[in-house]
Amino acid sequence: MTVSALTRPGERDRLIVKFGEVDWVFGLTLFLIAGSGALMLFSIAGSSWDPWAAKHLARFGLCFAMMIMLAMVDLRVWFALAYPIYGLGLLLLLAVEAVGDVRLGAQRWLSVGGFSFQPSEVMKLGIVLALARYYHGASADRARLSWWLLVPAAMIGVPVLLVAHQPDLGTAMLIAMTGAAIVVLAGLSWRIIIAGITAALVAIPPFVMFVMHDYQRKRVLTFLDPENDPSGSGYHILQSMIALGSGGLLGKGYGLGSQSQLNFLPEKQTDFIFATLAEEFGFVGCVTVLAFYAAVIFMGLRTAYVSHSHFGRLAAAGVMATFTLYVLINGAMVMGLAPVVGVPMPMLSYGGTVMLTVMIGFGLVQSVRVHRYSEVTSGKGSLV
Amino acid sequence: MAEPAIFFAEVNERQGEFHRRAFMLGGFAGLGLTALAGRLAYLQLAQTQRYEKMAVSNQFNFKLVPPPRGLILDRNGAVLAANRPNFRLLVHRDKDLDTDGTLKTLANFVPIDQDRHERLLREISRAPKRAPVSIMEDMSWEQFSAIHVRAPAMPGVTADMGEVRVYPHGGAFAHVIGYVAKVNKEDIKPEGPNADPIMLHPGFRIGKQGIEKAFDLDLRGRPGAQKVEVDANGREVRHHTEGDIPAIPGKEIQLTLDVDVQNRALEVFGEESGAAVMMDCRTGDIICMASAPSFDANRFVRGLTGAEYRQLANYERKPLLDKALSGLYPPGSTFKTMTALAALEAGIDPEGRVGCGGGMYFGGRYFHCHKKGGHGMQNMRDAIKNSCDVYFYSVALRIGPDRIAKVAREFGLGQLFDIGISGQKKGTVPDQAWKARYFRKRPRAEQIWYPGENLSYGIGQGYLQTNCLQLAVMTARLANGRKALNPRLIKSIGGQELPSGAAVPDLPFAAEHIEYVRGGMAAVTEAGGTAFRASQLGLGDILMAGKTGTAQVRNYDKGGNRGKGGPWRLRDHGLFVAFAPLDQPRYALAVVVQHGMGGSTAAAPRAREIMRTALLKDPEIRARIEKPMPMPEIAPEIGESVPDETINAPGPPQLTPAAAPASNTPPGVPT
Repeated sequence: MTVSALTRPGERDRLIVKFGEVDWVFGLTLFLIAGSGALMLFSIAGSSWDPWAAKHLARFGLCFAMMIMLAMVDLRVWFALAYPIYGLGLLLLLAVEAVGDVRLGAQRWLSVGGFSFQPSEVMKLGIVLALARYYHGASADRARLSWWLLVPAAMIGVPVLLVAHQPDLGTAMLIAMTGAAIVVLAGLSWRIIIAGITAALVAIPPFVMFVMHDYQRKRVLTFLDPENDPSGSGYHILQSMIALGSGGLLGKGYGLGSQSQLNFLPEKQTDFIFATLAEEFGFVGCVTVLAFYAAVIFMGLRTAYVSHSHFGRLAAAGVMATFTLYVLINGAMVMGLAPVVGVPMPMLSYGGTVMLTVMIGFGLVQSVRVHRYSEVTSGKGSLV
Repeated sequence: MAEPAIFFAEVNERQGEFHRRAFMLGGFAGLGLTALAGRLAYLQLAQTQRYEKMAVSNQFNFKLVPPPRGLILDRNGAVLAANRPNFRLLVHRDKDLDTDGTLKTLANFVPIDQDRHERLLREISRAPKRAPVSIMEDMSWEQFSAIHVRAPAMPGVTADMGEVRVYPHGGAFAHVIGYVAKVNKEDIKPEGPNADPIMLHPGFRIGKQGIEKAFDLDLRGRPGAQKVEVDANGREVRHHTEGDIPAIPGKEIQLTLDVDVQNRALEVFGEESGAAVMMDCRTGDIICMASAPSFDANRFVRGLTGAEYRQLANYERKPLLDKALSGLYPPGSTFKTMTALAALEAGIDPEGRVGCGGGMYFGGRYFHCHKKGGHGMQNMRDAIKNSCDVYFYSVALRIGPDRIAKVAREFGLGQLFDIGISGQKKGTVPDQAWKARYFRKRPRAEQIWYPGENLSYGIGQGYLQTNCLQLAVMTARLANGRKALNPRLIKSIGGQELPSGAAVPDLPFAAEHIEYVRGGMAAVTEAGGTAFRASQLGLGDILMAGKTGTAQVRNYDKGGNRGKGGPWRLRDHGLFVAFAPLDQPRYALAVVVQHGMGGSTAAAPRAREIMRTALLKDPEIRARIEKPMPMPEIAPEIGESVPDETINAPGPPQLTPAAAPASNTPPGVPT
């Protein structure tokens, strides 16, 4: 039974109906991506489920189940929790500033009862929810051009600065860009958009030269000329491009990628897994997986499009914007179009944190889809 | 009722704006993904070949394989230098290598004491990355297999089979062939053949002396390569046999030396010091070129310890010195052949007699003959036979130094020969011009050649200095009688025959004069000649002719024991030059026994043994000896049979009793 705007309100709340409203094609596409990831992880482990492939699939299974459960959560609950989650994220970021573990030279991790996680991941979701919540109650004029815009600017700025201070420039930029995407989607004036882009472009060179840490600057400079230092910091990019290029049209064959199998490719199971795929399955394999991503983005945006609540629209679109940024940044990095930043290819790369974040986000997206006809009221009793 | 914050119109406006913007976001995502696909197309379709090449150069390494070193053979193909398998244990630096622990583990299988452990630690840490360091050479099969099966579990450890040079005849050829040893830093040159990366291979050896050094590039061959797949840490993952480039073995070098003659030469020297050079009088081939005492070249291949080296270097009899080429000796009375020929060429009648009363006065000095009582009246033949000094004093006085020097030089004395290996010392054949040149910084009076100097020149003393090879060349040219034979040591390189030493112009001397001198040399080994007793070959009608020589090491004007005793280093040198068979000369030989005292007692018996070995190996000579005789004759009385004190001559060769003429039975053998 399909739900429509005319379906009785009580009928829509039945769990079985909600279950049927989940976008199962979306779920299947996610499985195809995660399955491709497992396939590659199996190959680079020397045709072994250990240590990555089996775990990757198991994680995906768990996250998928969680995504379905989150999809069942009423959108109004999400709405109600939007600010608290954002607030929690801020608190955790402050906590990490005070007591966080230092790993690999950066203070990013927080350990709670033997379980460690990065608060910045919470903030990735928190920023989407909080901005969607804010704009839900803001008029078109306010969203376009007004002093009220300082509120979302501050909501984005504070966590971005905290994450950048860790320092985790990649995540900070990701949060900033996600926030910016929602602000733009909410109807920001073109004048500010253009002024903002111009300012960003002007600010990049002095930012790179004077604000960045040495290793960050080095990555950027290496990106600009990777063959300058092929065995040093240019190594990652160069080896990745060799893996890609040598794959050719159809690839070297499954399990036969010399770059990944012989460890020339760095971080082959995480950030550079796309290069492994490219090497073994070639252009055809790459385009297929990119098509999966395109389908996921398309279906996610369609969900945002059909939502009746502004909160739902912006939340779903915000999650999809984050996801899109992940894909584009990782793709550009692997292909030598962007500096090496620690952004994995979502669902394809091995790694629990990103999988969890993305799937929670997709849980929100599916919740928006399942509850697309729900009325979401702000405290002031505004409509839809 | 609170006023709604947002009205419907605004809601629709917000929704419409969002829809447009969401559409743009979709467009942006689509554009981004298309851009990625475009980049992929560029890398994977347009640039494939470039990146494929880079991937292959990442994936495969070529590991150098040292080529088998060329063999060195004697004139009959007997192996003088070969290669044998060598099980080696190598360790190279690896990311995961715990050098200390690995060496301790290895110490369970091969002996590594504390001292060596520390030295190896240093060596491994200093070695270039991935350049293996040899931990042990020549492991037993048990040690090799024990480590070989465990090697995959020990990063950086390999047990492999290489080749090592071996000289089956130990010391006999050590001076001629030389030896190979590990490559030193000084051996590696920035360019040229010694810049080859194979030089860094731990199994590679480079020629350090003699033939091994002179023909190193010929013997070396071209290294091959093994195609191995490596991972990012440089560890070998797989070996692709189909991609191997086979090593090209070094060229084979055949020498003119004969293994048996050479071995016999070294054997007869025992602990005596000296040299023996034998040449083929028809071709110039060097049959034997030995220097005694010698050393075991195999020890140098393995690497000498400091103590071993000092022992060799400090030994008074200089085993490391090649006395055949770089030892210079006054030729002594062997030079009388040259003086005689110079006299004949100067028109002196050989039948003219000179009276010898045991010496002669000249320039206020008394010049002794070696025979105190004198030889009486001597013609040239007698004088050669008896080695009468007085005769040659007077002859030399008459002809002067320049004529003698001309003959000596034509016969190879004071000359360098291109035999392929280095180390020859030129020596001195003096004449007036030489003396003026040599003493040009001294007062004029010292530059003049004084007639008194002719006397010692005539008997092969004075400034005259020759090496053993030159003496052999001189003898070979005398024996040949016609050609100015050049010595040849290298018969062929890689199957390419080198020019024979017989392709040379004739000697510019009258054949009958040379014939006369040869007659004199024949008389030396006849009954009554200086070398009669010591030069009987015992090979039937095959006779040896020769000339003895005893060269003073110092001046005995002050009296004393005339070099016949006392400290070893002050004793006379004993020399003997010889050729055989007398009627059809085949082999010419020069033997120098350093501080051996007498030419006839120290050098001639040794020369006889060396000559016998060469003759008995010659099929034509054998045929002559073994020719059945009609009937054994009744043995005539044997003359003075003096047992040989210096060396024990072996029994006669395998002659049929019937074929052995009794008159030629060697002394000391019961008949």
